[in-house]
Amino acid sequence: MSGFTPNNLVVNESTIILAIETSCDETAASIVMGGNDILSSVVSTQIDLHAQYGGVVPEIAGRAHLYLLNPVIAQAISEADISESRIDAVAATHGPGLIGALLIGVSAAKALAYAWDVPYIGVNHLEAHLYAGLLEDPTLELPLVVLLVSGGHTMLIEMRGHGEYKLLGRTIDDAAGEAFDKVARFLDLGYPGGPAIDAIARTGNAQAIDFPRGMLHDGLDFSFSGLKTSVVNYVRKNPNVNTADVAASFQWAVVDVLLNKARKAAEAVGAKGLVLGGGVAANSLLREKFTEMCAADGRRGLLPSRAMCTDNAAMIGSAAWYRLRSDGPTALDSGGFPNLRLPLIDSSWSR
Amino acid sequence: MLTLGIETATERVSVALGDHDGVLGSIDITRGRRHAETLTPAIEFLCRQVDVKIDEVAVVAVDVGPGLFTGMRVGIAAAKAIALALHIPMIALSSLDLLAYPLRRTDQLIASVIDARKGEVFYAFYRQTDHGIQRVLEPMVGSIDDLISDLLGRGQETLCVGDGAVRYREEIVAGFETDFADLSYSFPCASALVELAHVKALKEDWVEPHQIEALYLRQPDAEINWSTRNSGAGR
Ligand SMILES: [Zn+2]
Repeated sequence: MSGFTPNNLVVNESTIILAIETSCDETAASIVMGGNDILSSVVSTQIDLHAQYGGVVPEIAGRAHLYLLNPVIAQAISEADISESRIDAVAATHGPGLIGALLIGVSAAKALAYAWDVPYIGVNHLEAHLYAGLLEDPTLELPLVVLLVSGGHTMLIEMRGHGEYKLLGRTIDDAAGEAFDKVARFLDLGYPGGPAIDAIARTGNAQAIDFPRGMLHDGLDFSFSGLKTSVVNYVRKNPNVNTADVAASFQWAVVDVLLNKARKAAEAVGAKGLVLGGGVAANSLLREKFTEMCAADGRRGLLPSRAMCTDNAAMIGSAAWYRLRSDGPTALDSGGFPNLRLPLIDSSWSR
Repeated sequence: MLTLGIETATERVSVALGDHDGVLGSIDITRGRRHAETLTPAIEFLCRQVDVKIDEVAVVAVDVGPGLFTGMRVGIAAAKAIALALHIPMIALSSLDLLAYPLRRTDQLIASVIDARKGEVFYAFYRQTDHGIQRVLEPMVGSIDDLISDLLGRGQETLCVGDGAVRYREEIVAGFETDFADLSYSFPCASALVELAHVKALKEDWVEPHQIEALYLRQPDAEINWSTRNSGAGR
């Protein structure tokens, strides 16, 4: 796996990338060698700073990133135990995300790249999530189907090759993580909603309430806003219902739909493996049922560690290595792209 | 001692290089592309034209505000990254000081006024001394009325400068009779930054990159709303 980029830069197994992630509420830096060897990965989460507001506050995120970024980078370099002169390129998430937050990582990465006289690589955060699974098991064979579920996204993607993605399905309204946050807020379980529902659902009965599975037999797209509404209506009609039962039944409804569609997608494209990614992939029921389903289907399932599912910079460093190899460096006059989309083979998707 | 100055606290992106011979070169761009796009290429171009290598820079000076938060953070993040990459110290200066410095020959009171949006301004006052200028009112954020009452409180002949002074000229004059600096002084610039920083650098009056903090003067809106809500004001 080696090659020359369009700029005649050699990209091979020993190419070392310093990667930075500041697109939302995690300040992260990582040193990755050869696309999948993680030498260090440091994540400083700001969840506590935003928790009292029930969501990420962009201005608070911007202040925290600026304050935390240098120490996080310094720690990533020191934990990797390499000399800075070994760093061959500097990468940063340049979209999608909060513009003010993105620009801090992008500005720092470009300045570091210039000061060290190495290439800069702007990375698509969604593409990086696709690489999170591969990063932990580079032997996975393509094509793969990736179920990417987070606070901002719910997608089924066919990964045919590096940089070759086809969108198989996506949510037509709320993202799965958004549904978790909204239902958690409604049930007064706190923020972030995913872990809160995950925790209380353990003590509840997932079969207690039969919530609707949106669009279950309707192609590979998802819909979660109807589910959220029926949770609200059910609790209003049954005010004495056990909250743990509501949370468990809601969670099961989400997981059931996600996995049913992931299975259908894998069958449709004859995928060798199925990969889970994104922050919602840290959900314990989803992880448990995903493993059961893959075993039952005799399909290889890849379940990245929880740390690799949530936002981190190692996945940025991995995606950056493949992009550097195929496209070369990103220009230093490039900025941030808050609405960046995944580059798709079939661009008929317009949203 | 070669000093790189980076200034992005207002609409302008400004970079300069200086040493004991003064300012060696500077670039000021006040419109067009955004700060994050322009900044690194501007530093690259400046170093090339001045014929220095970036690793010859011995100290990075940065404008830490007050100013427009997103743009200001772009400059501070880049400055801190360069200091980290080259293992060199930093010097922080306020945008309001940079506005006043080029006008230091006046014997009027200098009022640096930066547009803070939302009908407010960031401001500070300065007066001439034997060695240059001295700040006589610490950086503030407030309404035009707040600025006017602070000016009336001083009651001195005043020279107002900055994009806030330009934007609210009529409102200021309606409450306080003052002179205004030429429009060419309306934005802070990095050449003032490297001149002021050089004096500090000679005294080794610098800090490590992680000690650099932006001068916001204003809480994030969410915190303001939250504390108002929690203090019972809204109930
Ligand atoms: Zn993410």
